[in-house]
Amino acid sequence: MFNKESGLEKFKDAETVIGPSIKVKGNFQGQGNIVIEGSVEGSLKTGANLFIGDQAKVVANIEAKDAVVNGEVRGNIKAKNYLAIGRTARIYGDLQYGEISIEKGAGVNGQLLALGEDHKKTDKSREEKVTKESAA
Amino acid sequence: MHVYIYDDYLDKSKYNRIINRLEIRLTDLGLNGKIIRLSGIKNIRGSIQNEIKLGAKTIIAVGNNQTVNKIIGAIIDTDIYGDFQKKTLLGIIPIGEDNSIAYSFGIKNSDEACNILLARRIEKIDLGLAGKHYFLNHATITGEGTALEIDGYLVEMLPKTEISVVNLISGEKGITKSNPHDGLLDIYVKNRNGYNTHLTASSFTITNLESPLLVDDVLEIQTPVKLAVDKDSVNVIVGKDRSFE
Repeated sequence: MFNKESGLEKFKDAETVIGPSIKVKGNFQGQGNIVIEGSVEGSLKTGANLFIGDQAKVVANIEAKDAVVNGEVRGNIKAKNYLAIGRTARIYGDLQYGEISIEKGAGVNGQLLALGEDHKKTDKSREEKVTKESAA
Repeated sequence: MHVYIYDDYLDKSKYNRIINRLEIRLTDLGLNGKIIRLSGIKNIRGSIQNEIKLGAKTIIAVGNNQTVNKIIGAIIDTDIYGDFQKKTLLGIIPIGEDNSIAYSFGIKNSDEACNILLARRIEKIDLGLAGKHYFLNHATITGEGTALEIDGYLVEMLPKTEISVVNLISGEKGITKSNPHDGLLDIYVKNRNGYNTHLTASSFTITNLESPLLVDDVLEIQTPVKLAVDKDSVNVIVGKDRSFE
């Protein structure tokens, strides 16, 4: 279920890496991939992908395209595309996702809400429109 | 016209041989020009500014990081800064120690520097700004007691960490990403295991009530201080082995 691609390897060129030595407080917004190995309080948003390591502690609402969660999260998570919950994850909050996978051993306390086909179709047609406008 | 600014420590006898060899090489390559020795000058800023007013096409720092910083400091935020940006190039001939800036530009030693001056490969680069002080390479501070305020969030460090704010990579192990053209500063945090945190920001404030910020390994600045980027500030002559594209 969890192959290498869903792990840290695809984030090795992440624009932002919050390591175990630091604590971030406030509204963090990035454009590229984000790796969290430390502590975050507030809110966390990226238009790209998010990886939360098994030692990370996040007290924040999270929004990303794809998200891989292996640590502790107290807050709601929204992954527009794909959400992967690892066996060491402990989540206290609601999950919204395009697609989801949850590994055996993971702890999730909250509601799960699939964003639905309509949401995915809207995103796809928006992408096609942007592509056509760029070509023109 | 080339203007060579010799830093005052080069007056020591141990540098005589290397200076003689350098001057012969520059003459052989047709790169000779005016020499200004900072040891004999009281008004360094005025002398450097005067050369730019007289139309110097290339100002070459002969020395180390401090020499480069003296030249940049003499020009930035002055009347002639606009002229400098448009018409003048900065070159470096590294002699002695503390030459991380030259290494970032792909200039490893004084012999190579002459060939690089001749090749005249030019790059426009950003300058980092710490308060009123400019820096080319990096600014460092201990992590203990340091807080960064960046774009709506605060970053706090654990003890036994060190922060490097990087504009231009100098070859330090673990610091692999920094683009001196992107208008951003790269913030690296390391602990005993190496660098494990990387953030980017166009401006932010550093605060540490106990320890100062060290800029380009030469200048200490008290905090709180705002760090920012002056984009595409300086035209520099670089080597092909520079640490950026």
